Amino acid sequence: MAELQKDPMTRKDFLGFGILGAITGAILTIPPAAFVLGPIIDTDVLGESDVPNGPDDWFEVGSITDLKEEPVAFRVDFPVNQTYGDRAIQEESGLSTEEFVVESAVWVSWSTEILSDGSYGESRRPAFLDNYNGETLSEDQIQEVQGSLNVLSSSCAHLGCPVRWITKEGEGEFLCPCHGGIYNINGEYVGGPPPRGMYAYTSEVREDGKIYVRHEFDSGGDLGPQEPYVI
Amino acid sequence: MISRLRSQATDTGKLIVDWLEHRAGIVTITEHFLYEPVPKRGAWIYTLGSATLFTITLQFLTGILLLFYYVPTTDHAWDSVNYIMTEAYFGQMIRGIHYWSANFLLVVIGLHMAQVFFSGGYKAPRELNWVVGVVLLLLTIVLAFTGYLLRWDQDGFWASVVGMKIGSYTPFVGGPTINFLLGGDVTGPATLSRFFALHVWLLPAALAPFIGIHLYLLRRHGVFGSEFEYSDRLAKLHERQRLESYEEYESDEGEPYTGRRDRADRNGDEE
Repeated sequence: MAELQKDPMTRKDFLGFGILGAITGAILTIPPAAFVLGPIIDTDVLGESDVPNGPDDWFEVGSITDLKEEPVAFRVDFPVNQTYGDRAIQEESGLSTEEFVVESAVWVSWSTEILSDGSYGESRRPAFLDNYNGETLSEDQIQEVQGSLNVLSSSCAHLGCPVRWITKEGEGEFLCPCHGGIYNINGEYVGGPPPRGMYAYTSEVREDGKIYVRHEFDSGGDLGPQEPYVI
Repeated sequence: MISRLRSQATDTGKLIVDWLEHRAGIVTITEHFLYEPVPKRGAWIYTLGSATLFTITLQFLTGILLLFYYVPTTDHAWDSVNYIMTEAYFGQMIRGIHYWSANFLLVVIGLHMAQVFFSGGYKAPRELNWVVGVVLLLLTIVLAFTGYLLRWDQDGFWASVVGMKIGSYTPFVGGPTINFLLGGDVTGPATLSRFFALHVWLLPAALAPFIGIHLYLLRRHGVFGSEFEYSDRLAKLHERQRLESYEEYESDEGEPYTGRRDRADRNGDEE
């Protein structure tokens, strides 16, 4: 056997080296490790998000007058707080007001009854919308609209590719272009590799008939959570 | 006149080489690194390792060149790549070499591994070199993955998203690893910065010493035998070259030269 230690070490030396080594090692490794792993500390330990997702951070999606029988994709630009620099200083200087946004497509569809053979039944679209032109909604109407809307993330629950709505012979489905995940009009799982249905945003409808979302998703779904869901 | 110049040049060259050999042992090192006796049959298959090294070197060189124009920010990354491809002199060629040799690199690594695997080159005492080689393979794959996003186009962007999402399914460490790569919880400016730091600094810096270890272990055990067998074969090679020079000299006098060479080979076998 190869002899690594020619002079035997005493217990005292060993302990001394051990303690000194541990302290030196900690001083040398902790700052760079924390420096590089900062996002893990912020996101996984402290639970912060790069997109503002406090109770008041609602983002406008669009008006319910723009909705059709089929799902409609709205573009929502969520601001991302990964830009380096102090916002106050940026605003004061007036030189750089640009901020990075994550461009997201939000699919909005009317909740639809799914028949036992998988085909679509009656849409739950409120009847009063036939003569609606952007008037102020009453509390009951808001409740009715909110209860019959699907506000879905376009990010496939499988590997995050953006899904699109495909129509064929009057019936339609959400299809993921990457690996062929299929969801029905309510965003529920139909076929393919995804482990669950599409992620739904936390959403609300306001008096002016506009839909608002927060940058957070239902983490349960029908087949359990898959985290991290935001990519 | 010309022959005098030639002999002078030869003498100067010899002087420089001798000087370098004496100070740095450069001839010995070069011999040790370049002269590897290989079987005559199928010798080309033993160039796959060198082909890998060559492609990696191309990656390093063209990568350094691309850095002169590439800007790793979300608003300039795509534009700077576009500039390289359309405006910069030979930009298309240099980026093309970086792109295609990256593709070939993975192919050549696959062939290299297959050759080592099927010839049993991973067996004792060369297991450690196989392990180091696998580390190199993994580093190369991560390099390929991180380089993909740097273009900041739709293709690279979504491929990276899918790749990271695949990684996120890893038990326990998947989520934190992805948040580490993303620099938060969404793809943004921090993601590009991090991929750039990994692709351009961390991974090449990690790759280089492993290449060194790989080559050291290769020469320590040789491709076909141990260090001792290797020097033994090298000695035999030198002996044969010496005898061949005699042969040339003697054949001038019309005397065929076969006996001694055969005897030398026989002696070698008896050892």
